[in-house]
Amino acid sequence: MAKLEASNAIVLGISIDSPAANNAFAQKIGVTFPLLSDMNRKVLKQYGILKMENVQKEEYGWAQRTTFVVDKQGVIRQVEEEASAINPNNAVAVCTKLPKK
Amino acid sequence: MHCRHLKTTILATGLLAVLAAGHVLAQNVNIAHTSLKAGDMAPDFTLLDNHWNPVHLSDYRGKKNVVLAFYVLAFTEG
Repeated sequence: MAKLEASNAIVLGISIDSPAANNAFAQKIGVTFPLLSDMNRKVLKQYGILKMENVQKEEYGWAQRTTFVVDKQGVIRQVEEEASAINPNNAVAVCTKLPKK
Repeated sequence: MHCRHLKTTILATGLLAVLAAGHVLAQNVNIAHTSLKAGDMAPDFTLLDNHWNPVHLSDYRGKKNVVLAFYVLAFTEG
């Protein structure tokens, strides 16, 4: 996190949870960056990462675990999916290489 | 006797491999790969943060690099 802040980057966590659930989660795990709530799955569809799963014979949609690094111009610099998206080191590495200003 | 045991083992291994392949395929059906890639513009959005305040991706334009970390569900390992 310190490395990200040093590279003038911010993390935005996004899930389908409600703001209330996200706030409780933020307090529990002690994150200081915003956790955003995509309750209507709009952004998940926009980014093409709505994953459908069958639970007890009913289809539910939630996020495919994905990380996007977006630079200050709004351009995507890196996309990481699934297992590699858990490890933040690559995203941090990309951020530290981006211009600070 | 020994040979027969070996055959059974080979059969079982083959069956496991088929099952594993089927499992991977079944999972792949659900996986939503993004078509967005490096160099594309990140689509703008507005979402409520954990204090019910709207956050726009464009709020950070010209100010900060942003790491969008999509996670599966709060309170899980996802």
